[in-house]
Amino acid sequence: MAIDERLAAERAGKQRQASFELALEATAGDGGARGAGAALQRASLWRDALQRFRANRAAVIAAIAFLVLLAFVIFVPWLSHEDPYAVDFSQAYQNPSWAHPFGTDEFGRDLFVRVALGGRVSIAIGFAATFAIMGVGITYGSISGFIGGKLDNGMMRFLDALYGLPYLPFAILTLAIFGTVNFWTMVVALTIASWFTTARVMRGQIITLKENDYVRAAHAVGARWYRVLFRHLLPNTLGVIIIFVFLELPGVVLGEAFLSFIGLGINPPKASWGTLAQDGYGAYQTHPYLIVIPSLMIAWLILSAFFVADGLRDALDPRAREF
Amino acid sequence: MALLEVDDLRTYFPTREGEVHAVDGVSFKLEERKTLGIVGESGCGKSVTALSIMGLIQTPGRVVSGSVHFDGKELTNLKRREIEDIRGLEIGMIFQDPMTSLNPTLTIGTQITETLRRHLDLSRKEARKRAVDLLEEVHIPNASRRLDDYPHRYSGGMRQRVMIAMAISCNPKLLIADEPTTALDVTVQAGVLDLLEELRQEHAMAMIIITHNMGVVAETADDIAVMYAGQIVEQATALDLFDRPEHPYTEALLGALPKLDEPDARNARLASIPGRPPDLLSPPEACRFAPRCKYAGTDDCATVPPELREIRSGHWVRSAHPASERAREPVAVS
Amino acid sequence: MSEQAGVTSEPEAAQPEPSAADEPLLVVKNLKKYFPVKSGILIEHTVDYVKAVDDVSFEVGAGETLGLVGESGSGKSTTGYCVLQLLKPTSGSVRFRGQELTGLKHEKLREVRRELQIVFQDPYASLNPRMTVGDIIAEPLVVNHLGTRKTRRKTAEQLLDVVGFSPDFVNRYPHEFSGGQRQRIGIARALALNPRLIVCDEPVSALDVSIQAQILNLLKDLQHEFQLSYLFIAHDLAVVRGMSDRIAVMNLGKIVEQGPADSVYGSPEVEYTQALLAAVPVADPRKMRIRREERRKHKHVLAEPV
Repeated sequence: MAIDERLAAERAGKQRQASFELALEATAGDGGARGAGAALQRASLWRDALQRFRANRAAVIAAIAFLVLLAFVIFVPWLSHEDPYAVDFSQAYQNPSWAHPFGTDEFGRDLFVRVALGGRVSIAIGFAATFAIMGVGITYGSISGFIGGKLDNGMMRFLDALYGLPYLPFAILTLAIFGTVNFWTMVVALTIASWFTTARVMRGQIITLKENDYVRAAHAVGARWYRVLFRHLLPNTLGVIIIFVFLELPGVVLGEAFLSFIGLGINPPKASWGTLAQDGYGAYQTHPYLIVIPSLMIAWLILSAFFVADGLRDALDPRAREF
Repeated sequence: MALLEVDDLRTYFPTREGEVHAVDGVSFKLEERKTLGIVGESGCGKSVTALSIMGLIQTPGRVVSGSVHFDGKELTNLKRREIEDIRGLEIGMIFQDPMTSLNPTLTIGTQITETLRRHLDLSRKEARKRAVDLLEEVHIPNASRRLDDYPHRYSGGMRQRVMIAMAISCNPKLLIADEPTTALDVTVQAGVLDLLEELRQEHAMAMIIITHNMGVVAETADDIAVMYAGQIVEQATALDLFDRPEHPYTEALLGALPKLDEPDARNARLASIPGRPPDLLSPPEACRFAPRCKYAGTDDCATVPPELREIRSGHWVRSAHPASERAREPVAVS
Repeated sequence: MSEQAGVTSEPEAAQPEPSAADEPLLVVKNLKKYFPVKSGILIEHTVDYVKAVDDVSFEVGAGETLGLVGESGSGKSTTGYCVLQLLKPTSGSVRFRGQELTGLKHEKLREVRRELQIVFQDPYASLNPRMTVGDIIAEPLVVNHLGTRKTRRKTAEQLLDVVGFSPDFVNRYPHEFSGGQRQRIGIARALALNPRLIVCDEPVSALDVSIQAQILNLLKDLQHEFQLSYLFIAHDLAVVRGMSDRIAVMNLGKIVEQGPADSVYGSPEVEYTQALLAAVPVADPRKMRIRREERRKHKHVLAEPV
């Protein structure tokens, strides 16, 4: 008898004792039982996390700072009437003033706008490289963790070997091989030796999640591997992934700044904070603002991203639940 | 004067959405060498009661009011240092999950001797000897060799025995066991319970056993207190409670238990209790069990919280419809 | 109702062999599951085996419940998983409706899987926290390409009703439910494919006594209504007693005693069973002393694992 027929038969008048009790519970128990030991499970996972995040003052300040920075780099070049590329030697080396809040450089270009534009480049590279790192890391780690066995062993041994690669020299090497430094080559260079930790963490997550009964349940009803991976495993790693994005971002931004500073920065006239700093290095004794300001911007980004990551980690950690 | 007297104990936990009344007016007495069983389902406040007695409630939770009189001392207004002195020395406690109650990075020997030396001022050698004696007392074979093992080399049941050894190491007058058998297999469980009884007699201790399993309580307790939604709803000697339970909740709990010797168990239905325990965030100004009670009518049950009263000698009930007063047939919940 | 999830219109899948017509629903023979213990640094080799299931045989008839009882480490859950082929048995035979399951692959296995379902122990780990209850219950249908989105939703709602929920809980998430309620959702999911046999792997061990009673009653009701068979795995002897027609007692991978529930409980033959029965806490203070004596008698049988 198929389920529908059975249901029809029983609805045709069989007295079901069970349904009385269960129906009672269904209607009566809408709010969660909040006994002494039960955590407040009512709020959705995300809403709960958001509330915890908002309660963390440092994280909120950092998030605001991050957003302010983003607003700065997005809106300032758009709204300003200063031409960042106009060369005007009469204006060169002006200290910060009302007309030029960040001063001007040796070519008389307004630093305020240049820093904002440079910010766009730095942040764009930062996000692009971060997503590239995520992409490679998640793929590698998921395959390794999901398939397991000898393949996992092999992939992890290989990863262990890769860990030995020094990150910056390899980035430099990559740029040298490419011959030119533009947005994409920079992204590749920064990604090449930075995805290892992400891969390892993702693998760990997948392996842990695999043990959950709901994964077994999916197998038990005949789900194919791709469904298990994409519907059951990966969505439950979202929290970790988001945290990692904010953790990796500072690293790549700093990496790009460093590479730029040693001369491997993006080619002019495009500028990033790193190249701006490098430009200003020569004059740092007389006009320190030329190097200090871009460096402060970098620090701002790194610190805010880092504290947001920290706050997110606390917010999403179920053990940090208050009573 | 009883060894332990708890009077109107209230422990609340502030949360984002208000205060959870985890323990809401609990009182009981425990004489020396007697065993009290506190039984109830998860969330009823039994563990929190034990933690409140021990002074182990972490902020922001706190004991709001009430008194805990132990061996002539009032525990609720002791300073941290003072209560730490009592913990371990005069009151021992064992917790539910033996897997996480032991520090995995220290040897068993270190963990036992640490407690000993904290309270008894023994030399290292003396402490070690005592530790070996303790392990033997809890029937761990090859005690002196096992002393240097790490917790992961012990099975669940053995770890629980180690916990018990640590708890009795300083000869406390009172031992509190919070769900000591829940994480264990049934045979290991029986072993632990038998051991507790043996040690209780040897050391002349009083004991409080906290559990949700009525069977465990039947086998070990002299007196039993049944808790529901932060309050004691029935209290009596073990014999009287099982012979003549009064509170509808107790009856329901007993009815819901699958029995080993039930005739025609295969076709019997277990009595189940509809609904769920109330929200302790704002306990209703009424009988807390009423929404789930077969006998709650349109009378006071929904408006007047019943008091704990002595229905016969030594038997207390918090209900408007205790079994021996029920003259009419049960009414279905409207 | 004929568009209902395709279950009424499909032809008899998994054709049983003619001689198997009177064979019990599930026949397990000489089932073994050994887990290799590996050692070595660079190149691992097998040094020993953990014999989780060591030559186990039993049968379950239609509409019947076999209680598989034992302590942790006895191999009972592993047995359950092997029956469902969630773990590949090392050797032995599992025949379901006359068809041999071990060695079946992919499509054939998927077909047979529809009739064999499972309810898991941990209500907090058995439901994907990121899926709605409706999706969870309907997943078996989705995976097997049964029905359309509309009919699947309808089935999910009906199943929610069967286990005692209002159908509009379909859009809720697992975290909004308590442990006992989650177990009911797991049961609804197990029913989705219209199975003949459900392996219940410690379905009530994680629940309070009163909620336990609800779930056990529900399982019994469902058994009557849908003519289900259960392989009921648990360590609580009293619970198993109430659910089972026949009992098999497992210890260290082997079945030490098997028979009708009444005789295994009433007159256990093997000392291990007697020891187990003596160890169960019984809600009767008067029997306390007698039972303690019983336990003392059987102490030697129950050596604690190191």
